[in-house]
Amino acid sequence: MKLLRRLAYRLGQAVPVILVVAVLAFFLMHLLPGDPAVIIAGTEAGPEAVERIRHQLGLDRSIPEQLIVWLWHLAQGDFGTSIIHNESVLSALADRMPVTLSLTLVSFAITIPVGILFGVAAAKFRNTWIDSAVMFLALVGVSVPGFWIAILSVILFSVTLGWLPASGYVPLSQGVLPWLLALLQPAAMLALFQIGFLARMARSATLDVLDQDYIRTARAKGVSEWQTIAKHAFRNTLIPVVTATGIILSLLMGGSVVIEQVFALPGVGRLIVQAILTRDYPMVQGTLLALAFMFVAINLMVDIVYTWVDPRVRYD
Amino acid sequence: MVNPRRTALLLGTALVAGGLAVASGPAMAQKKGGSLVYANVSAVGTMDPHVANAVADLETIHHVHEGLVAMGEDYAAKPMLASKVDISPDGRTFTFSLRKGVKFSNGKEMTAADVLASYERYKKVSPNAPALADVAAMETPDPYTFIIKLNKPNSLFVEVMKTPTYSFSILPAEQKDKPARDGDLVGTGPYMVAEWARDSHLVLKRNDNYVADDSAKGPDGYAGKKTAYLDSIRYNSVPEANTRIAAIQSGGADFIATIPGDLAKRLKGNKDVTVMSVIPFCQATFIQHAKNGISTNHYVRQAVAALVDAEEMMEAAGQVWDRNPSLMFKPSAYHTTVGAPWYDQKSVEKAKALLKQGNYAGEKIVLETNNNYAYMRDSSQVLAEQMKKAGMNVELKMVDWTTNAGDMARGTGGWNITITGLCSGPLLGPQQWRLSLAYAQNPDDPVVTDGYAKMFATTDFAERKRIWDGIEKYFLEEGYLVKVADIADLRGMNGKFANIKPYYMQRFWDVWVK
Repeated sequence: MKLLRRLAYRLGQAVPVILVVAVLAFFLMHLLPGDPAVIIAGTEAGPEAVERIRHQLGLDRSIPEQLIVWLWHLAQGDFGTSIIHNESVLSALADRMPVTLSLTLVSFAITIPVGILFGVAAAKFRNTWIDSAVMFLALVGVSVPGFWIAILSVILFSVTLGWLPASGYVPLSQGVLPWLLALLQPAAMLALFQIGFLARMARSATLDVLDQDYIRTARAKGVSEWQTIAKHAFRNTLIPVVTATGIILSLLMGGSVVIEQVFALPGVGRLIVQAILTRDYPMVQGTLLALAFMFVAINLMVDIVYTWVDPRVRYD
Repeated sequence: MVNPRRTALLLGTALVAGGLAVASGPAMAQKKGGSLVYANVSAVGTMDPHVANAVADLETIHHVHEGLVAMGEDYAAKPMLASKVDISPDGRTFTFSLRKGVKFSNGKEMTAADVLASYERYKKVSPNAPALADVAAMETPDPYTFIIKLNKPNSLFVEVMKTPTYSFSILPAEQKDKPARDGDLVGTGPYMVAEWARDSHLVLKRNDNYVADDSAKGPDGYAGKKTAYLDSIRYNSVPEANTRIAAIQSGGADFIATIPGDLAKRLKGNKDVTVMSVIPFCQATFIQHAKNGISTNHYVRQAVAALVDAEEMMEAAGQVWDRNPSLMFKPSAYHTTVGAPWYDQKSVEKAKALLKQGNYAGEKIVLETNNNYAYMRDSSQVLAEQMKKAGMNVELKMVDWTTNAGDMARGTGGWNITITGLCSGPLLGPQQWRLSLAYAQNPDDPVVTDGYAKMFATTDFAERKRIWDGIEKYFLEEGYLVKVADIADLRGMNGKFANIKPYYMQRFWDVWVK
């Protein structure tokens, strides 16, 4: 009951955050130069046609007036309609979200075990070649631009070796294996950066834990080294790592923008890039808002997981 | 002087064309079946022919929809759903006799009622609706006759109707009140939409109700007798050029769009992939603002024109290109050399002299360009350097294409010079050029308004050509437009299909599996 009350309180706190995101998204888009009416009409259309479209879309109204209209519709649950595709923002998001969620989750499933394993191994074998190799890989992961490494990966795994498709998405409904094959390469590329980040964090957390008295006690009692790490150190290592996983999940969703573009995946990342390029105001504003909701939800989930990982944290 | 790079590319094109001619010879069996996967630069945004203007949309639309007339292989107007067009001697009445028995993909026969409803919808929703502004009446005396009466003569009206952009396609009459971008995807073309996942792919399948124009010998551009051999065509959206190339190399695509010149090298020596050069595709052209600050000065505009070095600009961008002083492409009957004295002058000295004559005193000149198209960005950077050498105070303003296009169309953003790629006007003729001429922000210039009025009024081609020559000369001599070069679009294909021919917008009817 207390947990539910706490969740409701946290959700209430999120309302002003989301409202700020909404207003910021609106102003940032309207501050950008460029006219969606010209995009819709085409550069070969005359000025009367462009003005007619501006009027139809309400773009000839003042900016505050447009903001009020948008917020009013938002309050009624109406995220608006894409001015480029004539498609409701929510329906466009519903179509693209499975792609982005699939990419994010597969990437997450790669990032977490690999990152933690690398980090714990580096800590366990501190100052050995294993530690150096893991830290070097982590450095490469966080330093190399995702766009560049993704193109190299396509050339290697799709063109030279022919193991994985170069682009495109296969829905889960068409089979788990084709779905996974289509996502494996983009998800791995997306995971690369976060694995580096997580490995460094897990290494440092494990090193902290390994210096604690209870670990020394476990060792003194004759518990095997692996059991000490697995049973005593690992769970305590997870506390800062859980905090990081929440951030990682959000970063993976953000990183999908570039990866979806390179691998031609029709997800939310590509939707938002296209919407920005074509100045599709409702689509950008609605998508940013939906992403803000998701980030708030992820943070809430992290809070709940905390209570499971660390019994000292309770909502009472 | 011979340009080795250009010559090599032209030879390359000739070789590709030769190979295609062999591939389409009588020894090759033409059979139905197979699917082709096309990796295009962007997703299909709309299938509404009355509003579509992006090439990715139009390439699919013209497989599904047809108009009364269409552009032929030589880009001139040819009958399509009309069997013939009669033009009254005064150039005001156009009588279209419709082909009988033509069916929509839903099985319904197309009649004059559908044509009338389509034109009425076009007037309501199309950004090109002003093209029908002079229509006084539209009549359907019988199911197979459609008559358009104009308020004033327009001998180019049929040419206006062939445009592939904002196509005058015929839709079923029931779609008359459908808003823009909200049609039912029913057309008379050889293919129909089977599946459409926005931002991802669109699949066309053969339209079994298609009735080909048997009076024609074969396909002729977007007109003629079309045969759908392929069972389906899948248009995948693959925006990243490297990924498109990887897709064709790894078998994930059979045909890919728009390969940047520098990346085309990666396909060199690949036996399985042929690079096809479509040239002319567009023309790189600088535009000078007729009504903004220092670019209202005739001599300053001429000085800018004197600096353009086509080879340096195109080579900087790694662009496949060709020299052409005209605002019209070479296949056009309106191609002319009247602009030759102002083409590719590359003379800093001449520019300096002109600036002196124009009393240029270091006023700022804004050159607006964008980062989305390499040839626009690099040509602008080269021009900016040349302008500095000539003593001009130039500010290079880099924006994205959306901003650039909006500023260019509306004359906003403070630019004096900008650059664009003009594609359909140079291919299709003066009627298509009119709106692009307005980018110089002088649509009310009497040379344009009187010129077009006279051109529309005369049925004598020689007279129309003379008038167009005058307009073209005026725009180039005044420096409102500064032609750089004709540029190519490079496309890649594997060897699985026969009879794929270079054309402005890619067609896949009369293409079959080898």
